[in-house]
Amino acid sequence: MAMIEFEHVGKRYGGRFEALADLNFAIERGEMVFLTGHSGAGKSSVLRLLMALERPSRGRIAVAGHDITSLHVSQIPFYRRQIGVVYQNHQLLFDRSVFDNVALPLIIQGATPQDARRRVHAALDKIGLLHREKALPIELSGGEQQRVGIARAVVTKPAMLLADEPTGNLDPQLSADIMRLFEDFNRIGTTVLLASHDLALIARLRHRVLKLRDGRLIGDEEAA
Amino acid sequence: MSQKPRRNAQSTEKSRRGARSHQITFESRTRAWRRHHGQMAVDSLHRLRRRPLATLMTMLAIAIAMVLPASLWLALGSAQLLDSNLDDSARMTLYLDPALSESQAMDITDRVRGESDIASTELITAAAGLESFQQRLGMSDALAMMDDNPLPATILVQPRSRDPDVAQALAERLGQLEGVSDARLDMAWLERLRQLSELGRRVVLAFGVLFALGVLLVVGNTIRLAVESRRQEIEVVTLIGATHAFVRRPFLYVGVWYGLGGGILALILLTLGRRWLSAPIDMLASGFGSHFTLPGIGLGGSVLLLICSTMLGLIGAWLAVSRHLADISPR
Repeated sequence: MAMIEFEHVGKRYGGRFEALADLNFAIERGEMVFLTGHSGAGKSSVLRLLMALERPSRGRIAVAGHDITSLHVSQIPFYRRQIGVVYQNHQLLFDRSVFDNVALPLIIQGATPQDARRRVHAALDKIGLLHREKALPIELSGGEQQRVGIARAVVTKPAMLLADEPTGNLDPQLSADIMRLFEDFNRIGTTVLLASHDLALIARLRHRVLKLRDGRLIGDEEAA
Repeated sequence: MSQKPRRNAQSTEKSRRGARSHQITFESRTRAWRRHHGQMAVDSLHRLRRRPLATLMTMLAIAIAMVLPASLWLALGSAQLLDSNLDDSARMTLYLDPALSESQAMDITDRVRGESDIASTELITAAAGLESFQQRLGMSDALAMMDDNPLPATILVQPRSRDPDVAQALAERLGQLEGVSDARLDMAWLERLRQLSELGRRVVLAFGVLFALGVLLVVGNTIRLAVESRRQEIEVVTLIGATHAFVRRPFLYVGVWYGLGGGILALILLTLGRRWLSAPIDMLASGFGSHFTLPGIGLGGSVLLLICSTMLGLIGAWLAVSRHLADISPR
């Protein structure tokens, strides 16, 4: 069963601007896929639909076999707990420590403090920032902040990881490091969908690439 | 879309593990829920303590909005106290013919007692009436100068029924009796007093509703600002799966603390106000030979006021946060 399925998905904003038009694709469980295209091509719209931040104007989106377009508002939080999301601007809370930021999804899901501590430490260890757990995000470099954002996305061990331009603000070396992290999570079975316009980086990493232009799928290149 | 078998096997294994970790029992969910409530109660209190002046001002605004209707209510309470005293005296006075002798007056009293619908009667002879009149008004000198006792003998009649119509009919009947010159039922001013107290009740209700609305607005506006200042946090926790209840919770506690603090301040203001007013009122009352004291709010009233202010804080916060949450639902 596919992890993500888009069937004839369209999204219009304000009744006129067509961000996505008749989009069809499927991503299998355990795949790592890049989503590329110029800005405005519809990458962010795809991710926003997958995060249930928006509903499609047409078509059907299924995640792990469940139609997410008809989710009731009260079900959306529970759906979002099943996915991890990494943002370009990492969306960390600057008034609390690295530890508290990473622990946030666990607290929302009602983990015990002991369990949360264990899992946060495991996630921070994985991204190599265990020694900075007490630091505030502002004290970290851009690359470190992004890694904390990744730790927060994976701390609940989601089956699916979405990332919107996760390396957008980073230099090539740091970008490569971040990509290696995503590949590590993919290797243990997490489905990863990465939106990026960094074509050089994408070309170097050999994964399936979905190309969008003007809200349409214009290319689906299998992993080399 | 080819899948390497190795990955498939791992992903199945992984998803099974994932499924197990999501099997959270009802008991542990309840415990997590209680834990979050506790954390948010303490956390929101800390947030308020970090900005003591702003917090105090908000609480004071709530307190003032609570004090005004509460003191009106207390004032009305004392009026009602008066009213209930007068209720007992919903009795009528029969003025006897001044020419009657004391024994004749007693005969009439017996006859009145024989009538139906009478709870009790009390004869006040002309001499007794004069004596109490002198005592009460301190006008002994003026009255002593008179040759005759100008007061008639009176019979106080307590009707069995409180119904004004029945009492009216009874008064008319007793007025016809021989030797009774007049039967007066003080219904008119009793009725007026009742209307006055009804007016008071309505005024208190109107003020209560208005000021309750004021508290809602004060709390709602303050919470709205708090929501604004934590907008990013709300968006982030919503993105990672926080329910509306989870997002609302810290703000609801802030509302509860504002309401409770405002209620406590209101009680302090009421107590201070009562102290401040009690000395002149005691003096005034003793000048009229009365023992009237300002009624306190009492334990029951205090608890009621605290419950009201806390509920208003909670509702105000709920309204403010819910409006914001509606804005960030998916479209």
